Amino acid sequence: MTNYDGPAVSTTGVWKVFEQEAEEVTAVRDVSLAIERGEFTALAGPSGSGKTTLLNLIGGLTRPTRGQVQVAGREISEMSNQDLARLRLEEVGFVFQAYNLLPVLTALENAEFPMLLKGIDEEERQTRVRELFVRTGLDGLEDRRPGKLSGGQQQRVAVVRAVASNPALVLADEPTANLDSASSESLLDMMSDLNRDLGVTFVFATHDGHVMERSRRLVRMVDGQIDSDETQA
Amino acid sequence: MDGASISSWSQPFRVGVILKLAFRNLRRQLRRSLLTASAMVVGGFFCVFSYSLGDGTHEQWIESGVRMGSGHVTVERPEFRLSRKLDDRLSPEVRQATEQALQSRELAAQVVAVSSRLTISGLASSATGARPVQVVGVDPVAEAGFSMVDDQVIEGRYLEPDDRLAAYVGLGLVESLDLRLGSRFVVQAQDAAGDISGQLLRVVGIFRSGMPEADQSIIHIPLLTAGDWLGTDRDVTNVGVVLADSTLVGSMVADLERALSGPVASNEVRVMGWPESERAVWAAVTIDEFGNHVVMGILFIIIAFGIVNTVLMSVLHRYREFGVLRALGLTPRQTGAVVLVEGLTLTAISGCAGVLLGMVTTWYFFGDGLDFSVLVGEEMTFSGVVIDPVIVPLFRVSRLAQVFTVILGIGTIASIYPARRAATVDTAEAMKFDR
Repeated sequence: MTNYDGPAVSTTGVWKVFEQEAEEVTAVRDVSLAIERGEFTALAGPSGSGKTTLLNLIGGLTRPTRGQVQVAGREISEMSNQDLARLRLEEVGFVFQAYNLLPVLTALENAEFPMLLKGIDEEERQTRVRELFVRTGLDGLEDRRPGKLSGGQQQRVAVVRAVASNPALVLADEPTANLDSASSESLLDMMSDLNRDLGVTFVFATHDGHVMERSRRLVRMVDGQIDSDETQA
Repeated sequence: MDGASISSWSQPFRVGVILKLAFRNLRRQLRRSLLTASAMVVGGFFCVFSYSLGDGTHEQWIESGVRMGSGHVTVERPEFRLSRKLDDRLSPEVRQATEQALQSRELAAQVVAVSSRLTISGLASSATGARPVQVVGVDPVAEAGFSMVDDQVIEGRYLEPDDRLAAYVGLGLVESLDLRLGSRFVVQAQDAAGDISGQLLRVVGIFRSGMPEADQSIIHIPLLTAGDWLGTDRDVTNVGVVLADSTLVGSMVADLERALSGPVASNEVRVMGWPESERAVWAAVTIDEFGNHVVMGILFIIIAFGIVNTVLMSVLHRYREFGVLRALGLTPRQTGAVVLVEGLTLTAISGCAGVLLGMVTTWYFFGDGLDFSVLVGEEMTFSGVVIDPVIVPLFRVSRLAQVFTVILGIGTIASIYPARRAATVDTAEAMKFDR
């Protein structure tokens, strides 16, 4: 993480227009948003509301058609693919709906993967990951491949992978969508603890009522625009 | 940790990560990997099998051609090859310099035999008639190590050092002139003074090379006899060299040119390798080798398509996985490198296995030679060489390295397109991808 003190992420007048068979579809429409460090924010809305696209824009997985996106104070709209890759590695952690662990790596190797790419030495990697595994109830599962883990366990490993390298923010796209309610609740507890204890900034795209309830800031989106932005108790 | 320090020292870690992912993925998709590898192994096997037999065949053609002709390397006057005149014989100084150079420690190790010959065109006549011939004045001992003709005796014997008026004659000529062992006949040729001069000879041996043109025209006589007859003393028209391996020709020509730099520079003498002096053999080898390359090329193109297909399927199957790698911070190039390294690793391993399998199998089953006499008969000639129906495979390190490099090259080329596909994955789209 860099020493930048401003918002973890901010967008200014961001648009995303997709061209589909000669037809233009506006997924995100003039969105301006700032998310401070340590927030636990949910982008909520029905399917097609643009929440996943906004998440992808923030994470540098797709480029805005118009507007600006800043992550940890760095403007990313015009960044090269190379720089975007570096930014993702240094500043952003991802949690996906379908877990997306690398099937050829063990749980521990998956969790330490971004740190390995960063060049963090083995001792530090293992210490951080083992600490997080204990904290998140994954202790003892280090050597299992993803295929030998339950959905809930895989998603926990994915969260550990996202937070282990101390990114500026963690983007989670429907992280509970494939989990049963118990696993979902447990995962939310875990992320909430990480947010509270370690100050990790979480931004969710979700339409899960549970996630919305647990978030401390709820940004509702409709038709690619911010419909409401509330801070919850 | 700040960005600057990350970028400056994380590269080795990324290489390690890419290698790890590549190896694990190959193991994960074992059946697919084995299928791709087997294609390369089969290709490597056929390549080594075909080239070792091809090289063995060519070496035999070359060996036969140069021993029946003027050696792997010949030193002669530039005009002699066409004129065949005594005027174009080597000066004693050049002959001596050539023979001394060949006896030097650096060159002697590569030399199997050296023969200094006096070759002229003449006319052989007996009571029955006359035939144009090529009279070769030789040192019997040196020539016995150089030529194959002495081994092809069917009656009598080859020349000996004490022989004076002896002639070793081809069977065709013997039949044409109605000669037999002990028969006398006359050869006439232009001598050093430009006069037509005759020499009486006695048949001491008859040979059959299998090449009708050689059997009907070649007469070996002692060099001393030729010198006395033609007034050339001990002069020769060329110095021929047989080498341990035809691939040494280039360096031998260069070394001799250095040793004879003065006469070579003044165009008094020319050092020729067999590709230049035995054009027919060179053409036959080149054409046959080209045919081999074409067949192997087609085989590898087919294999390459198979590899592209397999690797591409693997990439498409792992579309989301590549998206994840990109999302986690791998650059497009690094993501493509994962696929490229997979392809390279697979082809390197299977290439080695194919080359090894080809060598072991060919050596085990055909090490003593592959006998084609059922197909071509006991004797066959073409392009001026006698073809041995038993082909003995020849394994050259350079050829094996060439085959391995080609396999590696094919593997690399075949992995480039799939690697590009992996590198250009749309990360956001890949996350939606459901296999």
